[in-house]
Amino acid sequence: MDDFERDLSRLMRDTQQHTPYEPEHRQRLHAGIRTRRRSRLLWKAGGSAVAVAGLSVALALLPNLLTRAQPADPRPQPATSPTTSPDSTPTTEPSATSPTPTLQPETSLPATTTGDITPSGTTTPPADPTPTATASESRTGTTPPAPPPSPTPTTAPPSALDSEEPSASAYTE
Amino acid sequence: MEQVRADGFDEFAAARWSTLLHVARLLTGGDRQRAEDLVQEALVKLWFAWPKIADQAPEAYVRTVLVRLAARSARRRWWGERPVEQLPDRAGPVDVSSAVAERSRLEGALAQLSPKQRAAVVLRYYEDLPEAQVAQALGCPVGTARSHASRGVARLRQILSDAVRPMT
Repeated sequence: MDDFERDLSRLMRDTQQHTPYEPEHRQRLHAGIRTRRRSRLLWKAGGSAVAVAGLSVALALLPNLLTRAQPADPRPQPATSPTTSPDSTPTTEPSATSPTPTLQPETSLPATTTGDITPSGTTTPPADPTPTATASESRTGTTPPAPPPSPTPTTAPPSALDSEEPSASAYTE
Repeated sequence: MEQVRADGFDEFAAARWSTLLHVARLLTGGDRQRAEDLVQEALVKLWFAWPKIADQAPEAYVRTVLVRLAARSARRRWWGERPVEQLPDRAGPVDVSSAVAERSRLEGALAQLSPKQRAAVVLRYYEDLPEAQVAQALGCPVGTARSHASRGVARLRQILSDAVRPMT
């Protein structure tokens, strides 16, 4: 601190006037305190009123918003039964594209004369094999139509039928 | 409880009124009316914080409030003058002394500083606060407070060089 700073400090202190704290100062101060307290109370009351109004509006609108945003009724589940229908068995679909088809009941159909057991468990009459023949024609396209199964096992060997299994398995679906 | 609070607050206000008013006057560059308003506002703020800081450092609190109020009031573009019926603060026979002339020069020189520089100079050289407390009161880093004080002193040195030197 140099001389100027010391002089500056002394000058600031020397120029201080003693100003007594008079009753009018006190009254003015307490009047200011009351005014400030009142304004703070008003701010608090106003804030509370705004908060209550906001909550009331929110509560009034909430049921409407909930009903509007409510999701649709769940779709009815398909009725399930112990017997699986052919079109509801997804396990047969991969067999249509898989190179190693699963063994289907139709493959043994021509060789047997007793009838075919479908996946649904019903027995089809062995004398009417036409659905298999029409399905294989429509599905295979360029492939030569498979000979209609006949009760006699001389029409097609079982091994040849195994190679066209995708079309047959697709029909079963 | 309220009475105890009011008693302690009134004691503090009565004891520190003169000093606070002088600080406010220095901070405002000699504007006595504005200084009284600042002290009043600072003490009103102190009243609401009194239960928390009465036992700690009420003077530091009110000083910080005063500095910030002075800086804020200096940013206002207009300080209105209200007409009154009687002229306040008529100059008495004592007011023509050399002390008043010195004070007027000092306040006139302080009024030419920026509010931050003025506050830093007043806190540093009148309140004799360390730089850290000056920075805390100004709400800025210590380096910034030091810069404000040094620039303020340099400016005052330029203004008051011919006014202070003859007194030493």
